[in-house]
Amino acid sequence: MDFIQIVIYISVYIGLFATSFYVLSFLADKKRPKELFEDSELPRVSVVIPAYNEEASIKATLKSITSSNYPKGKLEIIFVNDASTDKSLEIAKNFKSKIVKVFNRAKNSGSKAAASNYGFSKATGEIVFSMDADTIVDPESLIRMVRFFKNKKVMAVTPAMILMDVKGILARVQHVEYLMGLFLRKAFASVNAIYITPGAFTAYRRSFMEKYGLYEEGNITEDLEMALRIQSKGYLVENCPEAPAYTVPMYTFRDLLVQRRRWYFGLINNFIKYRKIISTKYGDLGAFVIPVALFSIVLALIVTGYLFFKLIFDIRKELEFLQTINFDFSSIYDLNLYIVERFLYHLVSNPIVLFVLLFVFILLFYLYYAQKKIGKSFELLINVPIFFALFAVLFAFWWMVSLFYAIFIGSVKWR
Amino acid sequence: MYLSKSLNNERMEPRGFVSKKRYLLSFIIATVLFILIVLVSYSFSYVELRRVSALQGETAYNIFEDKLDYTLFGKEVCFEESFEQISSDLNFQGRIIDDLENKLGKDDPGVLFRKKFYTLVELEHMEFIKLLNDRCDLGMSTILFFYSNDNTDLGRSEEVGRLLDSVHSRNSETLIIYSFDVNLDSELIKKLKIKYGVANSPSIVVNEGKAILDPKNIDEIESRLDDFTGFDENGVPIIYLN
Repeated sequence: MDFIQIVIYISVYIGLFATSFYVLSFLADKKRPKELFEDSELPRVSVVIPAYNEEASIKATLKSITSSNYPKGKLEIIFVNDASTDKSLEIAKNFKSKIVKVFNRAKNSGSKAAASNYGFSKATGEIVFSMDADTIVDPESLIRMVRFFKNKKVMAVTPAMILMDVKGILARVQHVEYLMGLFLRKAFASVNAIYITPGAFTAYRRSFMEKYGLYEEGNITEDLEMALRIQSKGYLVENCPEAPAYTVPMYTFRDLLVQRRRWYFGLINNFIKYRKIISTKYGDLGAFVIPVALFSIVLALIVTGYLFFKLIFDIRKELEFLQTINFDFSSIYDLNLYIVERFLYHLVSNPIVLFVLLFVFILLFYLYYAQKKIGKSFELLINVPIFFALFAVLFAFWWMVSLFYAIFIGSVKWR
Repeated sequence: MYLSKSLNNERMEPRGFVSKKRYLLSFIIATVLFILIVLVSYSFSYVELRRVSALQGETAYNIFEDKLDYTLFGKEVCFEESFEQISSDLNFQGRIIDDLENKLGKDDPGVLFRKKFYTLVELEHMEFIKLLNDRCDLGMSTILFFYSNDNTDLGRSEEVGRLLDSVHSRNSETLIIYSFDVNLDSELIKKLKIKYGVANSPSIVVNEGKAILDPKNIDEIESRLDDFTGFDENGVPIIYLN
């Protein structure tokens, strides 16, 4: 058995162990007692929406949040126009009311975190939501998420992040990735191991921010930092899969790469910053969930890197071989029953193929759960095969680029 | 900033594991699944080993039957077409054995026995083809392929194997290829190597001519096939030289 086979088998075993743990945690979550606010107990809520040149999406965003079923007397929406040069401010002003407050910053804050912090400083709610200017929420999402804050230890609640307007191959890959996230986030929540609170839509307890600070403005993934900060202080991050929040995917390869570079670079830096979490003192999060995530990244990089270079080597070898047979393709690609039979034998007799099939089955289970929560999506029939064909390669590529930036450049930009 | 309830009095409580029993259960599930899948995949190879054993028996029977029909009962062999099917079956069995060797290892006793038996059946078939060439002017060419599974020669052996597949595909009507593992502990192979002057692998012997070490392209092999015009009355290949 060669080195790469050993790495693959170790990855598979860890994958099986982690998946078993997550599935068991997910199943156990149903029995977990949850303290939830009754309607009459719902606290005051502020939704902070920073925006810089978001004229294309801001109308839909404000329309969705103002259509929320949250008691209107307990809801305020704070729109922060971060010196947009388009019509974002004018559009937002059309929504101005007792509930919707519009703030205009003459000079750009330089980061989403700074614009959000400005909004947080104006907030009067006990619970503050961070919401992107291109996110749309279900009318029930706010109420469902806020109920979790009855437990005094809960400092943040995450929604079910889902993609809308899924068009194109890359968007289809992200669609499946986000849907998988629904299951995993629920499983993580059951062992208090959520370490990412999506900036697109997350609720925070304001008293936590008062004591431990607002978003870290120099941090490129301030939402991730906040989640780790909450965890590092020993509080809880909950998840509410019944609260859909829709965001748009990245459509181009470049945009997606830039987004992932920022996410992964931020993940590296914040894991370094909060490295003390990676210990048994932080229970399942520190002893299992984060180490498994880090280990998976390293193994995925080794395996995908190996497969990538092997592919290049094999192509070169194949070309050399074709040269030896004077490029007579008809003599090598002769498809007959014997070849098909040998191919099938290779498939079923290879444990790795059977493991892949098992993981496909597990993924389908994740997606079944997601569909139960958000409704059926027949597009998955197309999206799942595309996801399997591309995600591993893309994931490794994003990580390679992010590591390169982390090691050799030391910083990344938002855009 | 609006003043909400402060957390000043809250202190971090030590965080334990939600359920240590869950880790144990996960370990058991993962281990059972892992072992089960590995066993299932290997069970296919053992089924395949039994299958190739049955196929080999059948092929050997057919060859012996044809030969005995001719030698004992004087059956006319020139109209016998079963050799084509047998050639094809042999080729297929060779591939199964190659696959099994890769899966179960080259030291697996079951695989080793099948390889030795395969060598025997190949030689038996080769002799029969020679007889057909001799008696019926069949004009079938043969290539003996001596390969090695040792790590040092494996890569080149595989490449020559693919080259020969291609040669066979282009000359499937008139060519039969027999392959022999030079590392197989078999007296027959040792004798074959001496007979054809094979010192290293991969080597090929076209129409019982001189051994060619590590052929590099299809032309090199096909030119030897083109030179061959048949066997003389003593069974010696007649080579047409330009």
